[in-house]
Amino acid sequence: MSATVSDKTDYDVLNVVALKKMATAQVVAAACGVAQADVEATFDRLAAQGLVVVAGGAALPTDGAEPALATAAGVRYAAVREDAEIGGLVDRFETVNSQFLTTMSSWQQIDVGGRKVANDHSDSEYDDKVIARLDKLIARLGPLLEALAGHDARFGTYPARFAAAVDRIDRGEHEYVSSPTLDSVHNVWFEFHEDLLRTLGRERTE
Amino acid sequence: MTAFTVTFDEADPDDVDRLGGKGSGLARMTRQGLRVPPGYVIGTDACRAYLGDSALPDGLVDEVSSRLAALEAKAGKTFGGGPVPLLLSVRSGAPISMPGMMDTILNLGLDRSAAVALAEVTGDSRFMADVVARFHAMYAETVLDALDPGSGIDTLVDAVDPGDDPGAVYDRVWAACEEALTDESVPRDPHAQLIGAIEAVFRSWNTRRARVYREHHGIAHDLGTAVVVQSMVFGNLSDDSGSGVVFTRNPVTGEPGLFGEYLAHSQGEDVVAGTRTPDPVAEALAPDVLAELRTTCDGLERAQGDVLDIEFTVERATLYLLQVRSAKRTPEAAVRIAADLVTEGLATPAAALRGVTVEQVRQVQRPGFADSDVAAARTGGRLLTTGIGACPGQVSGVLVLDPDRAGERAAAGDDVVLARTVTSPADLHGMIAAQGIVTATGGSTSHAAVVARALGTTCVVGAGALRVDETARTLSVDGRTLHEGDQVSLDGATGELFAGRFAVSTPAAATGALGDLLAMATDGAEVLARVTLPADVAVAREAGASGLVTAVDDVLVATGHLDGLVTHLLADDGGTALDGVADLVAAEFAGLLAAAGDVEIGVRSIDLVADEARELLQQTAVTTRHPELTVPLGRPALVEAQLRGLERAAGSSRVHLAVRHVTDAAEAAALRELGQGSSVGVGAYLTGPRAAFAAKEIAAAGDVLWVEVRTLQASVFGIPARHLLTAEPLDDYLRRGMLSCDPRVELDPAVEDLLARVAAAQDAGCRVGMRLSGRVSERMVAQLYDLGFRRFAVDAGEVRPMRLALGKAALR
Repeated sequence: MSATVSDKTDYDVLNVVALKKMATAQVVAAACGVAQADVEATFDRLAAQGLVVVAGGAALPTDGAEPALATAAGVRYAAVREDAEIGGLVDRFETVNSQFLTTMSSWQQIDVGGRKVANDHSDSEYDDKVIARLDKLIARLGPLLEALAGHDARFGTYPARFAAAVDRIDRGEHEYVSSPTLDSVHNVWFEFHEDLLRTLGRERTE
Repeated sequence: MTAFTVTFDEADPDDVDRLGGKGSGLARMTRQGLRVPPGYVIGTDACRAYLGDSALPDGLVDEVSSRLAALEAKAGKTFGGGPVPLLLSVRSGAPISMPGMMDTILNLGLDRSAAVALAEVTGDSRFMADVVARFHAMYAETVLDALDPGSGIDTLVDAVDPGDDPGAVYDRVWAACEEALTDESVPRDPHAQLIGAIEAVFRSWNTRRARVYREHHGIAHDLGTAVVVQSMVFGNLSDDSGSGVVFTRNPVTGEPGLFGEYLAHSQGEDVVAGTRTPDPVAEALAPDVLAELRTTCDGLERAQGDVLDIEFTVERATLYLLQVRSAKRTPEAAVRIAADLVTEGLATPAAALRGVTVEQVRQVQRPGFADSDVAAARTGGRLLTTGIGACPGQVSGVLVLDPDRAGERAAAGDDVVLARTVTSPADLHGMIAAQGIVTATGGSTSHAAVVARALGTTCVVGAGALRVDETARTLSVDGRTLHEGDQVSLDGATGELFAGRFAVSTPAAATGALGDLLAMATDGAEVLARVTLPADVAVAREAGASGLVTAVDDVLVATGHLDGLVTHLLADDGGTALDGVADLVAAEFAGLLAAAGDVEIGVRSIDLVADEARELLQQTAVTTRHPELTVPLGRPALVEAQLRGLERAAGSSRVHLAVRHVTDAAEAAALRELGQGSSVGVGAYLTGPRAAFAAKEIAAAGDVLWVEVRTLQASVFGIPARHLLTAEPLDDYLRRGMLSCDPRVELDPAVEDLLARVAAAQDAGCRVGMRLSGRVSERMVAQLYDLGFRRFAVDAGEVRPMRLALGKAALR
């Protein structure tokens, strides 16, 4: 099967479906900035091409989705891959990313005399410090996201999603730090990382 | 002259509004006679003045200067010069801690001459370069909002030799740091640095995040923040200097005795960075410093009745305490420490119990592998490989290599261990379904590790020897090949993956120190445990259950004889005595009641409208044929048959049979009538609001009365009771602010009113108890305790958490 996703909306929608594995039109619309009605129409097109299966209002990627995206990204983002400024920012992202992962671990686990113990979130001062650090790390993604958005406006949805998650955290909804089932800071970050790798045509190491 | 500032030794620790949390803490430590590096607090009133006028209040700068002179004299150091330079830390300290506030700036006060003096006094230009770079980055980031300078500076600092010319090193590093800033500049003058940092603290009061937080939590916007200015001490000035961290007891095991590390001739960062290996405090500290530290730790522990974590620095043989906090500890240590503190007379039982949570109790009693089994498996060649333990736990299950199939196997009732080369968000559904996760790649911060910890799922990452072949559905490790579906076992603490299964059992820690602690907790209250099989009885008793509860349908499901009951009921013409049901109950309860011996055991009668067993009971078929079975006493013969069966099986047991959904005094009277002459007691399970109104009459007619709290809450809310055991839909609904009460963890005021009626019905003749299902909540237990209830029944694994929650409620 050699389906193609040369259309921009098709790519954007399929990209989100592949990142989330299963997503409703509403979720896809919020994540890629395409109007919900257009997302629904795109689901139908992608389903006809065999790239997604739509069940109960949610789209799931088929085995053909990843290769189709990889091929399309090679063409669509050729200029991004050659942009020296982005190259430099991506190198710096690696450092920020590893700091982010360490910070995320310190949210979940605390070090007790050399042993890791689940953070029971009884120490609000500790938690506040971790959240402040996450907030700073998100700010450090700014230049890279801005540069990417210069090539493709859809990258502009990430700052909005981060801001929404941080806003909820500040209201005391701390599950928006790392919950795998919400649009938490960790989820948004992780999807961005996956998206970035696909855009650049790289493999993830961990 | 002292309008805005106050030194640690002058300040009144109770004046938190003015000093902020951190300032108050330092004032308190100073007052207790603990040696903390000297410093002062700029009160919140100065911040309010600054925010009002957008300028520092008159006189503050002069005051800061004179405080500085006093600090120099006290510390014997010079601000902005040598021979020993005075460096400062500047921190924000609001009366209430909140996000968005400026954090700490360390090492403030470095101009060229101070930097040169620092290098000379430490004999280490490289250390100086590091301090200069760190200060610059911290100041740039927190005061100027600059981004981190990138790795170029680190490389430059790494290249400095300790013996390099200090002046040249400072010039090189400072210039490089300044170059990394795009359009702003860190002041060279230490006084300007200090004023800049103070203003930055004031400004941080009004960051967007701080404002959002205050608005959401109803904190006034005009409190303002204090600023803590403190002199820094150095552990790397000489061989009789150093830094360390000490716990007053071992935070991993809870064992008494100082536990900590000390690194001579070092700053605290060296210990944290792991660049040099520290030594145990008891070996590395000079005898007189060690003795002082011991005395200090003992005094602090006695004063606070808690285990403490203390950061300290020794500067030229003088001990300074930098921070004293309640120590973080493992669940095992938390339990042992609480028990020991009471035994040693350092804490009251009430205070000790407060230091332990029901979640910690759950973790301590979490079943695991027996050490001897694991040792035998290691020597017996069952250890396949060792990765990095990412989320602790010990689980056995079938090996699955794909998230979709993991979901399918889990849905079919298998415990699944999911093995992947690497995980991504697309694997989430499989990770949720799995009991254990193992990956070939990744470190303790990888996606798999983060998600597993969020889910609380046992996880090992970075098991590099694993080769996953998704096509062949095999997993190979060092020449051995396992197939999907094979049994494997995973230890998320040690990182070990084993072939085959292990038996799991309650760890020794749950019966040792935890037993001692809980023995203090449950005085005067009864906790009954839900059991189904004879083997459950010993487990429940070991956990401290004073009695047992079960249900006829549960026992028949567990013994595989529910079909027999359904067959009897479907064949029944409505007029018989249902002797077959009596025979079935007599046969199937014999084992359980024999195991119970003379311990009280409550049995819930068959409930044909129960949500839990809808399909198994073939409810539709049975109740279509016998609609009278949908009301509690619609078929008295069914109750009688169960009473006869239990009586035959009972032996020496103290058994009662309680009927669900009773709401009326007449029903209770009819039930009493049926129980006449039987050695088995009778009673009711109340599930709805109407029953609470009749509680007094129902109680008067019975031997026991149970309230199913979850069902009662559900009926008041109009939400199916099963939704009170799951995360969704209530998590999302509560997040959206649609309910003011989470019925899973607290009693709704409407239910409290109803239960107050039940509480009033407690009298000598009838034992009134609360049946809780699912995880017990400390909050709800406290509410029930306050209503006057002292008798509870819980799920088997919740006996210990319940006993703790009761103890905490009783000893508040």
